[in-house]
Amino acid sequence: MNGIITYMKRDFTKWFRGRVAVVSSLVMPAAWLIFVGLALPVKFTGNYLDFITPGILVMTMLSAGLSGGALLMFDKILGFLNKFLALPTPRSSILVGKILFITGRGLIQATIILVIALLIGATLLSPVQYGLTYLVLFLFGVLISTFATTIALYLDDHDSYNAFNSMISMPLFFTSSALMPYSVMPAWLATIAHLNPLSYAIDAVRDVTAGGFPALPILVLLGLTGAVLAICSRVFRKVTV
Amino acid sequence: MPAIETHDLTKYYDTLCAVDHLTLSVNNEIFALLGPNGSGKTTTVLMLTTLLRPTEGSARVCGHDVAAEGEAVRKTLSYVPQDMAVDIKLTGRENVRFFADLYGVPHAGDRVDEVLSVMELSDRADDLIRTYSGGMRRRLELAQALVHEPRVLFLDEPTIGLDVAARKKIWEHIRALKKKGMTIFVTTHYMDEADQFCDRVGIISKGRIAALGTPAELKARLMKDVITATVEGMFSPPDVEGVAFVGRSGDEVSFTAENGREALPLLADVLGKAGVAVRSLSLREPTLDDVFLQAVGQQEEPHGFEDGKFRIMLRRRK
Repeated sequence: MNGIITYMKRDFTKWFRGRVAVVSSLVMPAAWLIFVGLALPVKFTGNYLDFITPGILVMTMLSAGLSGGALLMFDKILGFLNKFLALPTPRSSILVGKILFITGRGLIQATIILVIALLIGATLLSPVQYGLTYLVLFLFGVLISTFATTIALYLDDHDSYNAFNSMISMPLFFTSSALMPYSVMPAWLATIAHLNPLSYAIDAVRDVTAGGFPALPILVLLGLTGAVLAICSRVFRKVTV
Repeated sequence: MPAIETHDLTKYYDTLCAVDHLTLSVNNEIFALLGPNGSGKTTTVLMLTTLLRPTEGSARVCGHDVAAEGEAVRKTLSYVPQDMAVDIKLTGRENVRFFADLYGVPHAGDRVDEVLSVMELSDRADDLIRTYSGGMRRRLELAQALVHEPRVLFLDEPTIGLDVAARKKIWEHIRALKKKGMTIFVTTHYMDEADQFCDRVGIISKGRIAALGTPAELKARLMKDVITATVEGMFSPPDVEGVAFVGRSGDEVSFTAENGREALPLLADVLGKAGVAVRSLSLREPTLDDVFLQAVGQQEEPHGFEDGKFRIMLRRRK
């Protein structure tokens, strides 16, 4: 437990000191929120900003997770991992600490995006609704950061990982329910969107904002997260001993 | 109980044998593993620090088996890998504190101050590592390694890429640590450093120990001293006990001697009496380089470059 916190503290300190990275990661989701959320003339809803905000929150977690995936790979390439592995601290805390850091960083970014959304006219929710929203975002964050970390460890090369990252981030976002409801999608897109893990997170957050409790999406996210975590710890063990 | 003990320690990477039945015992000394690139030095260290599982054989560090008691082994040792890995966005103190916290060192704050001052980094402790020189970064890594008072210290190429003054300083620190009772296992391919600073060296070639002993022993065992004289005019090989004539080329004649320092005045005397005009005499003691070359052979690559093997090694060593 101590090890996990210490590893997270290292990553957070490094992140806060790289001021450019802290700000630049927020520009993209904020731009979507403002330039698309406020400007797109849509007919299926009265307040498009309220509709798109869950999508942008999940998108923020997605890009935080994908960019964070490279962190453990870099620790490995730069020789930090070997030093950490020679410590008596449980080796699993290296992995858990990293996943929690990436997720925590995503949640901080999502909070800022949420504040911006409120400032430009999104509807204020109740504390319970925010609690549930954060639960969903946390689960999704763990899922995506574990997935990204696994892929990066497996590829073991940052050029390949960058290529992978830019290859999947946009398609994942556009084939989800982030920008429009299933009812207005063409049938083929709706089919893909129903399979996209992003949609589960986005639908869950929308469900929460509409006053419901998204039991099914949360279960699906839990199941997916468990499976990816199991694969990830296998890959991690394989690259470490 | 020796600090490090290996018995038939072996590592195969697929079909490539990186370490081949290595049997060693190291205790409270500075032990250097010398060898050309790819001879199995780093692989040996990785197995001893539990980062790599041996294919065959066993190794114990402070009595704990590296394969079965990984955590107990890791509690007793510190490992500083070859590539310098310190967080440049953190200060020196933060970098060391990070390791103190991971080790769960009691009174971490005081202990961090202590190791920083041992490594002569106190006055720069609160500067970002970004501003540190290579030598300072290496000393900081030593401070990180020392923070939990390990019994065994593994250093993989500790002075690589450092200037002469920084190297000397690192070695002085390593010597001081050994005096305090620590066992230090280094790998290096700087012969002069091993000769000057290490108590015992093992020369490793293709995963096997080719020579093992103190630098002085190895040099005495493998090589004689070389004496070169510049002479003028007539010369006939003199008869001096313990000195063998090797040959003449132009004005230069050379001899080998069991003990060059003692043979030198004798030789001068005999040559003088024989009426040979000696212009100069020089004595060269064998260096560890000579021992190394004799033990390992000329480091050519007779088989050419084997791409497949190289890839396997690269993949595993990362």
